[in-house]
Amino acid sequence: MTTSDTVSPVAGPESPPGAASGTRRRRAGRRTWRQALRRDWQLYSLAILPLLFFLIFRYLPMLGNVIAFRRFQPGGSVFGERWVGLRYLRMFLSDPTFWDVFTNTLVLGALTLLFCFPLPIVLALLLNELRSRRLKRFVQSVSYLPHFLSIVIVAAMVMQLVSVDGAVNQFVRALGGEAVPFLQQAGWFRTIYVSSEVWQTVGWGTILYLAALTAVDEDLYEAARIDGANRWRQTWHVTLPGIRPTMVTLLILNIGTFMAVGFEKILLLYNPLTYPTADVISTYLFRVGIVSSNFSYAAAIGLFESVIGLTLVLSANAISRRTVGTSLW
Amino acid sequence: MVQLSRRHLLFAAGAAAVVSMAGCGDDDADNKDLADNRVGAMDKYGVGDQFKATSAVSFSMLYNNHPNYPFKDDWLFWSELLKRTGVKIEPVAVPLSDYEQKRSVLIGAGDAPFIIPKTYHPQEDAYVSSGAILPVSDYLDLMPHFKDRIEKWNLQPEIDSLRQEDGKFYLLPGLHEKPWQDYTLAVRMDILEELKIAVPTTWDEVYDMLKAMKAAYPNVYPLSDRFGKPNPAGNLLNMLAVSHGLAGAGWAYQHTSWDANAKKFVYTGASDKYKAMLEFLHKLVDEKLLDPETFTQTDDQARQKLASGKSFVISANAQSIVNDYRPDMAKSLPNARMAKIPFPIGPVGPINPASRLENGVMISKKARDSKNFVAMMQFIDWLWYSDAGQEFARWGVEGTTYTKDSSGKRTLTPDVDVLGLNPKGTKHLQKDFGFYNGIFAYGGHLELVQSFFSAEEMEFQKVLNERPNVTVAPPHPLSDTEREQVTLWETPLKDYVYQNTLKFILGQRPLGEWDAYVTELNGKNMGSYVDVVNKAYDRYQQKHG
Amino acid sequence: MVTLDTSTPAPATNRRHGPHTSRGYRIFRVVNAVVLTGVVLVTLYPFVNIVARSLSDNASIVSGEVNLIPRGFNVAAYKAVMADPMFWTNYRNTLVYTAVATAVSLVLTTCYAYVLSKKHLKGRTALVGIAVFTMFFSGGLIPNYILVTSLGLKNTVWAIALPNAISVFNLLVMKAFFESLPVELEEAAAVDGLNTYGILLRIVLPLSKAVVATMFLFYAVSFWNSWFAAFLYMDRMDLFPVTVYLRNLIAGATDATSTGGGLGSASDVVQSAATIQSVTIVLTVLPILAVYPFIQRYFVSGVMLGAVKG
Repeated sequence: MTTSDTVSPVAGPESPPGAASGTRRRRAGRRTWRQALRRDWQLYSLAILPLLFFLIFRYLPMLGNVIAFRRFQPGGSVFGERWVGLRYLRMFLSDPTFWDVFTNTLVLGALTLLFCFPLPIVLALLLNELRSRRLKRFVQSVSYLPHFLSIVIVAAMVMQLVSVDGAVNQFVRALGGEAVPFLQQAGWFRTIYVSSEVWQTVGWGTILYLAALTAVDEDLYEAARIDGANRWRQTWHVTLPGIRPTMVTLLILNIGTFMAVGFEKILLLYNPLTYPTADVISTYLFRVGIVSSNFSYAAAIGLFESVIGLTLVLSANAISRRTVGTSLW
Repeated sequence: MVQLSRRHLLFAAGAAAVVSMAGCGDDDADNKDLADNRVGAMDKYGVGDQFKATSAVSFSMLYNNHPNYPFKDDWLFWSELLKRTGVKIEPVAVPLSDYEQKRSVLIGAGDAPFIIPKTYHPQEDAYVSSGAILPVSDYLDLMPHFKDRIEKWNLQPEIDSLRQEDGKFYLLPGLHEKPWQDYTLAVRMDILEELKIAVPTTWDEVYDMLKAMKAAYPNVYPLSDRFGKPNPAGNLLNMLAVSHGLAGAGWAYQHTSWDANAKKFVYTGASDKYKAMLEFLHKLVDEKLLDPETFTQTDDQARQKLASGKSFVISANAQSIVNDYRPDMAKSLPNARMAKIPFPIGPVGPINPASRLENGVMISKKARDSKNFVAMMQFIDWLWYSDAGQEFARWGVEGTTYTKDSSGKRTLTPDVDVLGLNPKGTKHLQKDFGFYNGIFAYGGHLELVQSFFSAEEMEFQKVLNERPNVTVAPPHPLSDTEREQVTLWETPLKDYVYQNTLKFILGQRPLGEWDAYVTELNGKNMGSYVDVVNKAYDRYQQKHG
Repeated sequence: MVTLDTSTPAPATNRRHGPHTSRGYRIFRVVNAVVLTGVVLVTLYPFVNIVARSLSDNASIVSGEVNLIPRGFNVAAYKAVMADPMFWTNYRNTLVYTAVATAVSLVLTTCYAYVLSKKHLKGRTALVGIAVFTMFFSGGLIPNYILVTSLGLKNTVWAIALPNAISVFNLLVMKAFFESLPVELEEAAAVDGLNTYGILLRIVLPLSKAVVATMFLFYAVSFWNSWFAAFLYMDRMDLFPVTVYLRNLIAGATDATSTGGGLGSASDVVQSAATIQSVTIVLTVLPILAVYPFIQRYFVSGVMLGAVKG
């Protein structure tokens, strides 16, 4: 079924032939604003509403972050009472606890990224190899059920699983070992946390990749097969390059946000014995916030995290552009 | 869970000289200028008077919506309130699950309603310096019932503990005639009978009981506790702390405890009394009487162990016995009987550790400018602090929801049920009528507070009511800058104390290293913290002594 | 390399296989089956467990008997929750909020992603930067609250739909997808006389069914599960979505004390926290599971529509 669009030939001065493509980039760069607006006004018009959104609902409230540099008292002026400069910045930079939690955040974030990034890809590829479409759909749907479970439930399940009488310890005892109170040992927290993250996100993460896989042209496979490639070579030379833009996009985005480690889940799973590895910036701020209601301090730390995140994304993007050729922008 | 610890932040322990604060700092020139705010107020309003607004008034109020009796605007409570007082309440509904967060945003954004109930001290501290809430101590002349209760029940020391650095207090707390201690340990009474042990009254007797249980059932951890999140062994640690004369631990951790002999504040987590507590608990763990998982497991896991006979003793309050443990065991252990034991006595002797203050009401500063301000204060005074108001809030309307006999004893009308007292009733006092609502009905006369208690709870309270109250620490309010500095020290200190508490108890760290631990605490600003608090105490003594 | 193709879904055996499948590949397929079965078990088990718990009685749950099959089968928890008219009011709210918010988000995100995908556009980098910057920097709770309130959006559906209209994550994924579409298609359409809007609507979107369906799923699920925006900006219980209702229910059930106002007796408190939580999960997940199969249709392989010269 071909789409034979019966389009009314509306020829407008806005689309002179040959200029609509991006193939002659070098020439386009020298255009002035007036010309650009005249040529692409329709494109710009599409961007107006979204830009309004960003301006009103994202940038305007950002002004509130000024309280990171002003003394804010809840109930007083929204922008704080008076300037205190870098006071809060210095406060948390010189706080040894802050650096501990910062390290934990980095480590947990990095581990999560390390495991939660490639596994959905692997799963998507495995799913792709299933011959039966119905089976594929079934496995896919089931695999992301964990995504819908509330964090409270997941935490309760994890705690049940690794408790002294739980399934894991039963298995250990069956092998002749002694039960280990996993949740009370700082050394085990990272494993527990990352495993539960993997379990919860791997299914959902395949959705994007499966969508991308559908866009890979079937004929490329045909050509590869004709050239004598087996399934493995086909995957390596056709599939992976086909979904590479998606992979790179997601990787860069995940690198940028890797410090946003799951606050609620850690809050439910940790305890003072595991603070050395489990306590992250958000949970630390939470405990501090309960006693202090110090919005300024939280804002200062928030800005610090934001700067790091932005830097990471910019760097990842630049590196990606140079090495792989794909980048976010 | 946060709510629980809030409530127990009111615990105060230790012997302290009662400091009389009568008449300090209540007068204010501001009072006199209320001429423009008297619309709807009664001219003559005193103790024993029913408040009735002289013209129709309405007030906005933050409403904490409890899922067990969700808000209904056709409740008899609202209509009867309007009839008796002429006041219409405009509620801003907030789910119980996140009440504190929304309250914090509303106040922070300047959008708070006039009346903000369900506030536990010291939550109001954060809002004092910005002037977002009213210094209610300036307006006590408008609240005769409140003043009367403070005087009659000798609550001045408790009220003083709420005062801020300027000598004023910013919260109208719920007032109890007698402290109501709800939490303690609950024990399998059938096991006690089987092993022929008497109900323990002191902590040492508790230890003996656990030992006997272990001897008879070697594969069981007799005590496996709950209430472990977010503060491990929240109730157990707190009970031990107050029994040893400290201000609070576990879920009610107070950084400083008042030492009446030395007349200064000491750091709770570094004191010898705290060490004694930990030694006791360590002994329990060592002899396998206390389940080490107590400190990290969820409530459900603890309940599961109890219900399957893997433990015999657990922390409890009246409701958890009725709502949790008995139903849990109904099928698996039909012969089991759970009951509370009297609050165990420790080195400090028998005490009733509960505070007589309850969660209370904050008033938004904006209310002061309202033309109905005086009427509002009188209304609050009547509803929350007068006998008639409290009876109304708790029992409802005589003839409709309850009847009173000649001796003054109240009984629910046969069709009305609450707390399972009238199981055949088709209507529910809370759900259908809106009475006995946690926002309006708390505190008050002993007989009113206990009017819904079951027989067994009355027994328990009788023992506790005979014990002396715990004495209140003297006020030591901090200035705004001090508070900012101190709160940033508090979290690392508390974290470190808790970590080491667990390590010492579980044997991960030998108690011989106690002195090293104290030194480490000093490295985390413990000394400076205690200094700030003691200086604040001295300063307050000088200014308002 | 584009082809004239029919848009029927790929046949069950795709054309990747030659006539002689290698032995290594057969072993791989067995291993694959084992792995995927494991995945299904590990992800399905907790869910079956939750459903079982939601249908069991409290005592059985606490004693740990409930595993895959309900014990003490009763639907009391469901009845208790579903007998409350407020539950249905809130459920309806969820549907409305999700529908409106998803529609708004899809439109805005698609438009902006399309604009960003035009590499020749002057100022494109700035436009992308404007979006990406907001991924990392945001105002706090209070400034957002004040903004929404002063715009008069409190207590309306727009308080939920507008403040989170565009997820930059989704935006960038869509942009990447649009960029991967062959540019010749659009050139051809332009030659045919279509303006930008026409190209977007008639050429690009039909080709992007997979990604639009994906974004629809992402946004819809996210709004469906969200509770915080509604909690923050709504003042009345009858405006809350069902997530707030259920969250409150759990908090009330796990709150051992209720100072002043007590919990009921065993007969009053109909269900324990465990059952309530389970019922919550089931009631919130079911609709999504019901809808997903319809969306899955669009993840069809090998769809390439249109006639292109050359």
